[in-house]
Amino acid sequence: MTIPFGHALAFAAALFVLGLSCVLLRRQIMMILIGVEIMLNAASLVFVAASAYWRQVDGQIFVMLLMAITAAEVAVALAMVVYLWRRKRTLVADEFNGMRG
Amino acid sequence: MNHSLLFLIPLLPLFCAVINLLFGMRLPRLFAEVMAVTGVAGAFVLTLIFWGHAEGEGTRAVLFTWLNSGTLDVSFALNFDRLAAPMTLMVTGVATLIHLYAVGYMHEDDDYGRFFALLNLFVFAMLVIVLADNLLVLFLGWEGVGLCSYGLIGFWYRKLENAKAGTKAFLVTRVGDVFLGIALLWLFALTGTLSIDAINDQAAAIPSGVVIALSLLLLLGACGKSAQVPLMTWLADAMAGPTPVSALIHAATMVTAGVYLLCRFFPLVSLSAVAMTAITAIGALTAIYAATCAMAQREIKRVLAYSTMSQVGYMFMAVGAGTVAGAMFHLLTHAFFKAVLFMAAGCVIHLAGDENDIFKMGGLARRGPVELFWVFLAGAVCLAGLPLTGGFFSKDGILLALFTHPDPVYRVFWLVGVLTALLTAFYTFRLVYLVFAGDYRGAGHPHAIPLLMRWPLWPLALLGLAGGLLNLPAFVGGGERLHHWYGALAGREVSASHDVEWMLIALAAAIAAAGWLAAHWRYRSYRPPLENRASRFLLSGWQADALVDRLFVRPFAAMARFCSSGCDRTLLDGTLDGLARLVSSWASMLVQLTTGRLTTYLSAFAWGFLIVLGWFLIKLVNGGGH
Repeated sequence: MTIPFGHALAFAAALFVLGLSCVLLRRQIMMILIGVEIMLNAASLVFVAASAYWRQVDGQIFVMLLMAITAAEVAVALAMVVYLWRRKRTLVADEFNGMRG
Repeated sequence: MNHSLLFLIPLLPLFCAVINLLFGMRLPRLFAEVMAVTGVAGAFVLTLIFWGHAEGEGTRAVLFTWLNSGTLDVSFALNFDRLAAPMTLMVTGVATLIHLYAVGYMHEDDDYGRFFALLNLFVFAMLVIVLADNLLVLFLGWEGVGLCSYGLIGFWYRKLENAKAGTKAFLVTRVGDVFLGIALLWLFALTGTLSIDAINDQAAAIPSGVVIALSLLLLLGACGKSAQVPLMTWLADAMAGPTPVSALIHAATMVTAGVYLLCRFFPLVSLSAVAMTAITAIGALTAIYAATCAMAQREIKRVLAYSTMSQVGYMFMAVGAGTVAGAMFHLLTHAFFKAVLFMAAGCVIHLAGDENDIFKMGGLARRGPVELFWVFLAGAVCLAGLPLTGGFFSKDGILLALFTHPDPVYRVFWLVGVLTALLTAFYTFRLVYLVFAGDYRGAGHPHAIPLLMRWPLWPLALLGLAGGLLNLPAFVGGGERLHHWYGALAGREVSASHDVEWMLIALAAAIAAAGWLAAHWRYRSYRPPLENRASRFLLSGWQADALVDRLFVRPFAAMARFCSSGCDRTLLDGTLDGLARLVSSWASMLVQLTTGRLTTYLSAFAWGFLIVLGWFLIKLVNGGGH
């Protein structure tokens, strides 16, 4: 069976909104990062769905690229999370306000 | 000899000055001293060697092209002609003796490198003025003289008043220099050349009104350097410098530069009777002004300073009366006897234990070496114009020229000159009596006088006494050598009947004798200085400093205060500070947006994204509507 394009887009949109709410509402850095990942996955889903809809392989290639970049980004982000933990023994994002004007 | 070697005359002192300036303090003292004296003495010898080149039209030597732009073509050229040659010889000769004296005078001073370098540079600058072929080279020397006088008058700069005297000399002469600069540019605009000879040749073609203006500008320039009436206040304060410097300024360099400038431009200046009268009037005014001031002065060097002003006033009168030869004659004899007087005054101050006040001297004839009295007296009789001395003949020549001038107003100037001669004789012998006669009234311990401070006085004293031989008038059997030497440059032919000449010469002798007798009567036995209003007025130089202060310095200071606190601090600073405060308060409002909190930024980012998205949506809907 094939999933209709509209359904895929609606699902991706729901996923994106969930990720965005996670980013905006949670205070923990880990949770913000997870929210970002969810938003990225929503974007990937749109790419795949569009690729299937228009029968073009470009979308899927781009998703592969996106996954690689996400992996790298997560590696760097988690390393920084470890570093931040060592600095202040907390992972609440608003504690790191050294850039206040 | 090759005439381009003429450049060695000014360049030799310059070379020694540069060596002393760069290495003077690292070299042994003796080397610096020998260097300084040889530089000037070498220039003197060279002048003697090149003497023949001055005859006829003179010799012009070009070293290199200085500026070349459009019609302006200025080469660094010297002109060794009949006017320049005696002046060069006098400057180098007198300066050599002054340098020798300075070696003795400064033998305890630690700053010999700077001193001798500046002294040599001074002579160099003066020689550049004397030998300059064009106005720009002349201006170079003119400014150089001002600079060196500043450095030398304020030589002992650790005392504030000395430094102030140096600054004063610099600034007051600078006022004159501005007028000379204007004249220079104007002359170039009119004639298209800066060569002095070419300008003099074209002078007849210049409209007469312009000639008057130009002559007055040149006169004002000359007044600055020569300390004539509107710009004379610096000379009396210039006594702050070491005595050899005073001797150099008064005798060989600087104050004679103004007279020389007028003589150089005599063909131009003499075209205008108004300008000639103005020159004579300035000279007469200065002569009588300075002579009255000198009568009340208490410091030995100040008396001599005012006497210089007065004598330079005579030289201006001579130029104004049309006799360049007379002016130069008085310039030369004055250089000799004034150098003697200053250098002897330096010895006197040594003997009195660094005391300047003549009322605290007295009896120095017996206290010091006896020859000091005789050389000082030799200088004094020349200054007073006792018969048969050099000063007598040169001053008499000027008075004769004034008396025989066709314009009757010159009789008034002649009368002023005679009156000045009387005052001169009086204050000169007042000085002699107060310093040398009677008993010692001071408390100072005499310093030893080095040999080098004594014997340079002798040749100068003899030259001063015998200076009349340079230009002995014909009616006493003289050859008028200087007059013949200058030839066409000598100015107006002064001629009078023998009776008039004999009458004038008898009058001059009587005047000098009267001055002497008055001083003898007044100061034969010591009397304390008068303390009344008139003597205070004369002591302060007719309150000239206070007048300048009130007329120029204070209004200028008030204007500066207005510009500073009124315009700058209130108006400009207020506007700018207000603007800065406004921007700063806005910035402190804006700065509250940067909380440094990650969550704020994230939500701001999300809202921004939403707005952009919404905008695109609206555009899409609107676009879709069509």
